[in-house]
Amino acid sequence: MDRNNLIKWLKEPKKMGNKYSLWAVYFSTACGVIEVPPVLTSRWDAERFGVIPVATPRQANLFLITGYVTTKTLKAIIRTYEQMAEPKYTIGFGSCPINGGMYWDSYNTIKHLDKFIPVDGWIAGCMPRPEAIFIGVTKLWGMIDKGLATGYIRYREHYDYYRGNQERLFGSMEWPPLYSLKEGTHDE
Amino acid sequence: MAERELELIFGPQHLGMIGNLSISLNVEGDTILSARVNPGYLHRGFEKLMEYRNWIQNFPLVCRINMIESEPVEMVYAMAVEDLAGIEVPERAQYIRTMIQEMSRLSCHFTAAWAYTSILGFDTPAQWAMGDRDYLLDLFEDLTGARVYHIYNMPGGVRRDLPEGFEDKLLAFLDAIHNRLPDYNSTFFENRLFYERASGIGKISPEDAIEMGGTGQVLRGCGIKHDIRKLEPYAAYSDMDLEVPTREAGDAYSRVLVIRDEMVQSVSILKQCIEKMPSGKVYEKTPNPFKWKIPKGETYVRVESARGEFGLYLVSNGGNRPYRAHFKTPSFVHGLVILERLLKGANIADVGNIMLSLYVIAPEIDR
Amino acid sequence: MNDMVDLLKSIFKGTDARTLGENRLSVTTPGESVLAVLDYLKASGFYQLKSISCVDWIDDNEFELVYHVASLERPLHIMVKTRIDRDKPVFPTAMSIFKNAGIFEREMHELFGVMFEGNPDLNPLFLDNWKDIPPFRKDFDMRKYVKDTYDSIPSFEEYKWQKEN
Repeated sequence: MDRNNLIKWLKEPKKMGNKYSLWAVYFSTACGVIEVPPVLTSRWDAERFGVIPVATPRQANLFLITGYVTTKTLKAIIRTYEQMAEPKYTIGFGSCPINGGMYWDSYNTIKHLDKFIPVDGWIAGCMPRPEAIFIGVTKLWGMIDKGLATGYIRYREHYDYYRGNQERLFGSMEWPPLYSLKEGTHDE
Repeated sequence: MAERELELIFGPQHLGMIGNLSISLNVEGDTILSARVNPGYLHRGFEKLMEYRNWIQNFPLVCRINMIESEPVEMVYAMAVEDLAGIEVPERAQYIRTMIQEMSRLSCHFTAAWAYTSILGFDTPAQWAMGDRDYLLDLFEDLTGARVYHIYNMPGGVRRDLPEGFEDKLLAFLDAIHNRLPDYNSTFFENRLFYERASGIGKISPEDAIEMGGTGQVLRGCGIKHDIRKLEPYAAYSDMDLEVPTREAGDAYSRVLVIRDEMVQSVSILKQCIEKMPSGKVYEKTPNPFKWKIPKGETYVRVESARGEFGLYLVSNGGNRPYRAHFKTPSFVHGLVILERLLKGANIADVGNIMLSLYVIAPEIDR
Repeated sequence: MNDMVDLLKSIFKGTDARTLGENRLSVTTPGESVLAVLDYLKASGFYQLKSISCVDWIDDNEFELVYHVASLERPLHIMVKTRIDRDKPVFPTAMSIFKNAGIFEREMHELFGVMFEGNPDLNPLFLDNWKDIPPFRKDFDMRKYVKDTYDSIPSFEEYKWQKEN
């Protein structure tokens, strides 16, 4: 650890803690997960970057959405995302969550993930290489440093928009709203 | 509902669940009374999407049905199109196809070994299996340009010839994993702890296995010598010396041992491929893909994937795109029929164990 | 294989059998004798039902059900086909013959809307909250559905712009 880093740690311990302990939810959303095991195991060893998978979303603050999202999975994703403690960061992995990718005309996959939950960063490609996950993670570090990774704040402040879109897709929702639907009541 | 019975939802977000699948279990204490698999988290409607794309455009699409092992899917589609259009595949292409089939089978078995060991808590072989698989993926990258989705098969052959020095690299890898096998045996396959965890779990009788439509390791694990590569040889398998490994017990342990023996067989087939590789061209020229129309007809083709029989029923009405395609995937029956049956009476801790011994891969169920 | 063709033709009236390639047999039979053909095939060594497919021949206003049965000893694979009315797609279940038929019928019921009489479990398998016509039918326009369902949802920028103006 160099001197600058040490000063940073002393000045902003919370931010540095967030940055270097990105614990990921263990949720194999779709086909992108096939590049996650190599990243976690011996060859690429994601623990160097502080990324480890954890069993429950309550302990996690990184949500790696790996691949296309069907309507049924989206429900599970939203429930998982809402259970995570703040601050929480989302990375969309692969082309499909960005704009539908290969499945742009499929009747069962949603095309733009950021219409339903906030996404902090995207990793494009099908499949992206494992190195791309690290680039994504280091970019996320930079965003946390500069205070740009504010997806969870956006979710809180514009909950009426996100919840409205979710209800529009699902018809009725089985669980109550996480925040009050009146906007502007959740300033930090 | 009995008094102490309760419903437990297992997955999709669960540490013991590999893949995006949900099982709802009715449990009393630790024992599962009944199970119901709830698929559909990965349903994209492939067979419908194929009706909207022309024959060639479907190649990049279909391989995405199975991310762990995309080669058999490409292979069945290529074989079906060749069958309908009446294209002969050059001999060298057949050998290269056989080679990549076996490479992808090996990589799939390594993934299975990783998943199985990491679920049961053998972390050392889990790290090895993933690491060794990556050497294979490097070879795939060398050959096709991609790690996971290769899109290497084309109607009439394969996309390009073997790169220079590829055979030597492959041979070096085969020797390396041959030397590693004793390590895998001592830490995982012949480990007493693993034997205690897996023997007698998820037992299925041969009659039930046949009746419920099992293929692959499910049949071979209970003593039935069934292998499409032997029964109806495709590609260059008729020239290969191949043994079908079987075990008698029909439980999770015997299915895993069958997987291990198949890895040894794959290594042997790969060596034979390199040895017997003929020279010649690697693809037959096909018409302009935008104008290509395939005569009216229907066909059913099948290959032996790492998990069992993988089939495709393809119907053409004479147009430039498929009229109907229907995939017969091994995990569909294994995951929806046999898994539900085997979970009855099992322990909650064995759900992942049984699921992986049946080799259930969720995207293959949903398609 | 040719003995199989003649045998099937002679036993079941109105049945037509032809070979497709080396090891494939396509058997077309009227709806009422499908179960009898399947029963006969099972008794003669074709133990496994591999899959049930459905093809939507919209121009003929018919659904074609295809039962794939195969033996473990012979490389022969038989497709038993029958056509049913597209407006009233009802067919008896094959669960009494093959134990695993139920799950294939459940899939075809969801994707094509074919009603299998006698199957106790025809709950949705893949789709969640589906309100349109069954998606694999030829008259289901997928791209229009995608446009209406997914593309019409406003993006965050659109939402912000709307709020500001």
